[in-house]
Amino acid sequence: MKRSYVMAGVLIAVAVLYLLVSSTGTTANFFLTIEEFRALDEDLRGRNVTLSGAVIGESIHYDASIPEVTFTIVQIPGDRKEINVAGGLAAVLAMAVNNPDAAQMDVVYRGVRPDLLQHEAQAIVRGSLQPNGVFHADDLLLKCPSRYAEDLPAQIED
Amino acid sequence: MLGDIGLLITALAWVATLYGGVAALISIRTQDRRWLESGRNAMIASAALLGGAVLLLVLAFLTDNFRIMYVANHSSRLQPLYLKFSALWGGQEGSLLLWSAMQAFLAVVALREGDEHKRALIPWAMVVLAVVGLFFTGVTLYHSNPFTQFSRMPLDGRGLNPVLRHPGMLFHPPTLYVGYVGLSIPFAYALSSLITKLRPGVPLPTGSWVRIVHGWLLLAWLGLSLGLLLGMRWAYDVLGWGGYWGWDPVENAGLMPWFTLTALLHGVVIEDEAGRRGGRRGFRMWNYILAVLSFALVLFGTFATRSGLIQSVHAYAVSGLGGVFMTAIVVSLITGIGLVIAAFHRESREERKRPTSSVEDDFPLLSREGLFFLTVVLFLMLTLSVFVGSVLPTVTELLVGRRFEAGPEWFDRVTGPQFALLVLLMGVCPLIGRGLAAFRLSFKQGTAGFGAFMGLMGAGATVGLGLWAGFVQPASLLGFALTGLAATTAVYEFAHASARRMERRNEALHVAFWGLVRTQRRRYGGYIVHLGVILMAVGVIGTRMYQVERQMVFQAGEPAEVGRYSLVFDFLSQDRVGDRLSTWAEVTLYTDRGYAATLLPQVDRYEAFQQSYSATALRAGVREDLTLILAGWSEDGTAVTLKAVVNPLAFFLWLGGLVFLAGGALAFWPRSAGGLWNVIAPVLIVSMLAGSAWAMWGTAQGVVINRGVADSSSGSTRYGGRARVGQPAPDLNLTGLAGETLSTEALRGEIVVLNFWAPWCPACKENMPMLQTVADDYLDRGVTFVGIAFQADERSVLDTLAQIGITYAVALDDEGETVSRYGITGVPETFILDPDGTVAFVHVGPLRENRLRSELDALVGDR
Repeated sequence: MKRSYVMAGVLIAVAVLYLLVSSTGTTANFFLTIEEFRALDEDLRGRNVTLSGAVIGESIHYDASIPEVTFTIVQIPGDRKEINVAGGLAAVLAMAVNNPDAAQMDVVYRGVRPDLLQHEAQAIVRGSLQPNGVFHADDLLLKCPSRYAEDLPAQIED
Repeated sequence: MLGDIGLLITALAWVATLYGGVAALISIRTQDRRWLESGRNAMIASAALLGGAVLLLVLAFLTDNFRIMYVANHSSRLQPLYLKFSALWGGQEGSLLLWSAMQAFLAVVALREGDEHKRALIPWAMVVLAVVGLFFTGVTLYHSNPFTQFSRMPLDGRGLNPVLRHPGMLFHPPTLYVGYVGLSIPFAYALSSLITKLRPGVPLPTGSWVRIVHGWLLLAWLGLSLGLLLGMRWAYDVLGWGGYWGWDPVENAGLMPWFTLTALLHGVVIEDEAGRRGGRRGFRMWNYILAVLSFALVLFGTFATRSGLIQSVHAYAVSGLGGVFMTAIVVSLITGIGLVIAAFHRESREERKRPTSSVEDDFPLLSREGLFFLTVVLFLMLTLSVFVGSVLPTVTELLVGRRFEAGPEWFDRVTGPQFALLVLLMGVCPLIGRGLAAFRLSFKQGTAGFGAFMGLMGAGATVGLGLWAGFVQPASLLGFALTGLAATTAVYEFAHASARRMERRNEALHVAFWGLVRTQRRRYGGYIVHLGVILMAVGVIGTRMYQVERQMVFQAGEPAEVGRYSLVFDFLSQDRVGDRLSTWAEVTLYTDRGYAATLLPQVDRYEAFQQSYSATALRAGVREDLTLILAGWSEDGTAVTLKAVVNPLAFFLWLGGLVFLAGGALAFWPRSAGGLWNVIAPVLIVSMLAGSAWAMWGTAQGVVINRGVADSSSGSTRYGGRARVGQPAPDLNLTGLAGETLSTEALRGEIVVLNFWAPWCPACKENMPMLQTVADDYLDRGVTFVGIAFQADERSVLDTLAQIGITYAVALDDEGETVSRYGITGVPETFILDPDGTVAFVHVGPLRENRLRSELDALVGDR
């Protein structure tokens, strides 16, 4: 193969690798559990992160006129193996909401209350911690343990 | 019973496939073609059996056989017929069965006899395809059996998941499967070609495996492209977020094999051309690797989201399938890449032994070959980028012990420059396509210089257009320049080649053009695909960089501004049909030119699924699309939360999609007339294009009504919609029941409260005592109250007035003229006109006293 080809190929590859690494540094989110987030250094806390936790049903408050929904999520393990050892996601979620000592996080989300925002649902929130200690979620994804087993195949769902 | 038969014939198909693979192996060992024939017959039997299994499952759906768990979970008695069909691929089990059947059918077609070279490759290809078939049929049998039965028959099924009841979704899975299954055939022939190379004593067949699979590559490409486009459109229409691509792992899973396949299609062109010139190198090794990679990525796509390796919103149950697919991926990658290394290692060893007689290819980087090489590299880098993004949490956890997650922003940033570079290559390639030397020569002769000049003009013109239309971000202007350049040079390529042909053959322009397209379908189909991509790029720039999204609460009758639109929510309606509760808002849309349309964003709630399906209202235009999504509503229905998304240039995205498919179809169009395939292929192509055009534009998803109201008094047509705040009030020309003149002229200088009501409307009557009280209070402050009753006779109106004790002026609008002029959609509705005759306030529904008083105080205070 000609040298110019190799050079051009390497050049493109290096540029793309640079893009990959630098974008991960600037625009990718940390994916953390609440405990991990609490343990973060002060200067990292303002960053955009993704948190996952179990929703406490009683804490859900919805103001339809803004619209804005506030709720509290509690610590669940982030590691899949740990979840499986504890008996699956549904069991982990049920345990988390009944554990008064679990780390908590108040979340505010500007938007309509999603149907799936229920007691014991798993919430994945993307956003950042505000100075007042409330987590401001730009995105809110929910998984319900009861529907979790519903069987849409991968290729149907995109 | 039905279920048992289904299971039995699926199992028989598995055995037949196994026999086919073994027979092919024996034929390789013994060199006895009869074994090969026997194996082929077994493959045909397997395809027929799996076809039968699919038919049985269809039959089970059509006869509402809910004993079969899969039918009960994806169909119901009331489900329309077409949904009973499409429910076949509404879940994992049925999808895998369909996949297995398609795999078997396409394998039979791909293993038909051919020329000498193909015959040499068929035995090993049959072995590989048998293994692939065994894998998919085996998974269907052991892990994901669609024929599993309940012990007793349920009365009714759950029905198909509501979000899948969309035309885009009907065709999206099967077309993607065509792409996925189609990729197994290049994989099989690539492996066969490598193995044949490695076998000692067997003479190397002349020619290349890529010529055998070229048609399959195009078929797979068409399937994947159409599947991806339909998926995008579905997301745009149904998912209720106003976007079409969210870089979700499931989307990425379909995109990655598309990248490698597109790269392979480019590599194949160069290998073909090199072969024709008598050169050998071309991109042969790349092409093998790309074929292997594409197949492995198909497996990855089906496996990734259910393995737990990737976090996704779509990540449903982590089924046992993850491990099975992981093993399959590793096996196919190791086999494929291992064979490539072994074969090319052996080849270079042999080359060293004897001097090569064939022509060495030697092209500078700035030549057609060089640019194709860069294209392949870029596609591989894109695949790598998307792959890394999809597994970023897992990768970063391993590397730095912390999970990072790649959002859309990450993907846009990483892939954006690479896509831009691809468009640049597209633009430059036709200009220096015949090598730099040829370019210099033709530059002197003026033709290429003219092309380059046109390209730059095109880039400038596109930037100018963009600026004129108000797209001023520098990055987007750079993007426009690239698309302009690429579009012009692609068109130039057509013009230039037509002109040369005209000259050479002395043909008329249109004859030359059609001749060109007809005789070199793949080449010019490719250029049309490029044009489609360029159009899509314009759409992507517009929608990604200039999207406006706003979510807000609308009170009935009060206008709100979104971009250059003014939206007025009129009223909310609900209707229950079967298990579905539909709620829709009627929203009137105005632009600076007045009434534009009425939009009906709707939400269907399916109680059985605890799931809502959002049918967005979409007003499409060349400049931009406006999407309205109903996000929520108040209990009494007088306020709704709407999400409005303005997607500039989205039109070009969908137009480009169709052009893109048309180009692919042209490339795929059979070369010569005659033969069954040459009848089937055009039918397939035409129906596919028509179907996708329908799915993308023809569906009534964005429900938009244009209501023109004829204004009989002035003889002109006034466009519908309610009279708006800040606009001159429509004319009044009524006489009160007590003989008062209630005309615009008579009421000028007064603040007028117009209350539309009807005697049969309880809410109106409840509201009227309050109106009377306020009317009395403001009597001497220049405020006149006027009641306008409609759809009633004078008797009942007078009775009602006496009953309630109304003393302000009331007129009867028998003809409904005033009602239509004010664009009333129900009663009660109240308007306040200021002394100049301008609408100052509009309220739909019963009015609260403090609201009315505060509005009146503000107006009275002005005086």
